[in-house]
Amino acid sequence: MTTVIRTTALNKIYEGAFRGQDVHALKDLDLDIRQGEIFGYLGPNGSGKTTTIKMLLGLLFPTSGKIEILGSESIDSATVKRNIGYLPEGAYYPDFLRGEEILAYYGKLYGLRGKELKKRVDETIELVGMQHARKRLLRGYSKGMRQRIGLAQALISDPKILILDEPTTGLDPIARKEIRDLLLQLREQGITLLISSHELLEVEMISDRVAILFEGVLQKIGSMAELLTQRELSMTVDHLSESSVSDLTDKGIQVEDRTGNRAVLRLPFHMSSYDGVEMCKAHSLNLLSISPRRETLEELFVRIVSTASKAREVVQ
Amino acid sequence: MTFLSSVFGGPWCIAVYTYREGIRRKLLIGFLILSLFVIFGSSFISSFLDPSAETDIDLKLIKDICVTAIAIFGALITVYISASVVPAEMETKVIYTVLSKPVRRVQYLLGKFQGIQLIILVNLLLMGGLFFIALYMRQGIMPTLLLWSIFLTYFEFLIISAFTFAVSCAATSPLVPTLGGLFIYITANLTEYLKDVEHRAGQTGQFFDNLIGKIASALYSILPNLQNFSIKMQIVNGQPNDPPTDVLIPWLVLYSLVYALAGFSCAYLVFRRKEV
Repeated sequence: MTTVIRTTALNKIYEGAFRGQDVHALKDLDLDIRQGEIFGYLGPNGSGKTTTIKMLLGLLFPTSGKIEILGSESIDSATVKRNIGYLPEGAYYPDFLRGEEILAYYGKLYGLRGKELKKRVDETIELVGMQHARKRLLRGYSKGMRQRIGLAQALISDPKILILDEPTTGLDPIARKEIRDLLLQLREQGITLLISSHELLEVEMISDRVAILFEGVLQKIGSMAELLTQRELSMTVDHLSESSVSDLTDKGIQVEDRTGNRAVLRLPFHMSSYDGVEMCKAHSLNLLSISPRRETLEELFVRIVSTASKAREVVQ
Repeated sequence: MTFLSSVFGGPWCIAVYTYREGIRRKLLIGFLILSLFVIFGSSFISSFLDPSAETDIDLKLIKDICVTAIAIFGALITVYISASVVPAEMETKVIYTVLSKPVRRVQYLLGKFQGIQLIILVNLLLMGGLFFIALYMRQGIMPTLLLWSIFLTYFEFLIISAFTFAVSCAATSPLVPTLGGLFIYITANLTEYLKDVEHRAGQTGQFFDNLIGKIASALYSILPNLQNFSIKMQIVNGQPNDPPTDVLIPWLVLYSLVYALAGFSCAYLVFRRKEV
């Protein structure tokens, strides 16, 4: 699969007013984003996600390292920029313009004119499902509608790469689902999507690969299948007593969703299903079900960030 | 044609957007309404004058108030809009959506600057237009001198806006460029005094006096002399259809364009590698 975005040893240092106040926002970042995939770019606040995106767009300049987009290192060239659509987080769109006027404005910035511009505006509005409100002023738009128009302005040039910063933040569940479906539809059309988000469930549902960043350092990168392979066993048991709970907890078993004598037990990675059955026998528990459980992206994220955070504390 | 539209199409599109967004700003509308109110209200002031006074003193007063109102409110509008356009786009993140498109930074600045000029021109024409009508109705003579005055005032504002715009490109909020713009406007209207300060300071021979003299001399050399653009006294005392005297209009236009180009170049130098 062709790589459409590649960064090599990318560094960004924000210079402070005084010596020693510099912030190393990005450290030797090596990323490769492949054609036609949805790439989730994750990290806590201040981890360097937006810095990376801004550097890809030429809004910030790298301190060192290399950026290649669509095989070109001149990321500021019109040819490269024509193929990138960008939706920033919480951008403002003027209230006094109509939906279609906003798109026409951004279309003109891509050099579209006349019939070609009108065609693209029509296509994009239809794509984001805003035909009904295209002639309405933006002041009458809901948050979800504004986000759709934001997405439409990013799509107006029919780009090969779409960079989205928090595309579903602040939206209601229905609007989220609609945006999610739209992103999947765009992937089907061959567009590469780079999504930076804190909505881990959303990212898990649609991403092909993810990268997790912490304090400017890439901690993990890979496909969902590669990253979320660790499986543990989940057992639903009955006849659970207080003494059994403390004994199980001592063995590293997590007791969850307890209602009366019934609970769900999460076994640690090293315990097999045979060990689980033996344990039930030993504690006279009634085993109702046993199933493997895959780690969620949220759990992986928390685990990686906690590990990186602890490692930093040790170094300090 | 394609080349021209690709080079200038983007900036013009940004200019129109800037204009449409700018003219809706409440503070700007406030300045404009206030100035129109002063121009309109000046006609009533003459009714309070002593009837035995000089016959055309009321007209002189009206002209004086109106020309001053246009100069002051026009300068405030110029400084405010030039200082706030770029920082406001940074604050609202609109700049990200524009600079991520195939728009070069110089094109972006050109578009913003053109939009600012459109706003200044429209405001100046509204204020000047009202004064023009009032004067014509009062005297029944076409006040062509006023048209020259408005023309020159625009070129005066072009200089202020270019330098305020340059400061705004380095700033993150409109406060510093607003103060900078007002400083330029005031000092550039007082350059004759700077010359005077230079002469007086040099007479004592003391260190601080010499220093002040050198600073005054440097400011006098660098700053434009905006008094060159004023034909207020001629408007107040002369006939409305007199030709402008003591001013070389083509030279003033060139003078203004050179300063505006310098200001815009400073803006580009600052913004070229600015991290947004």
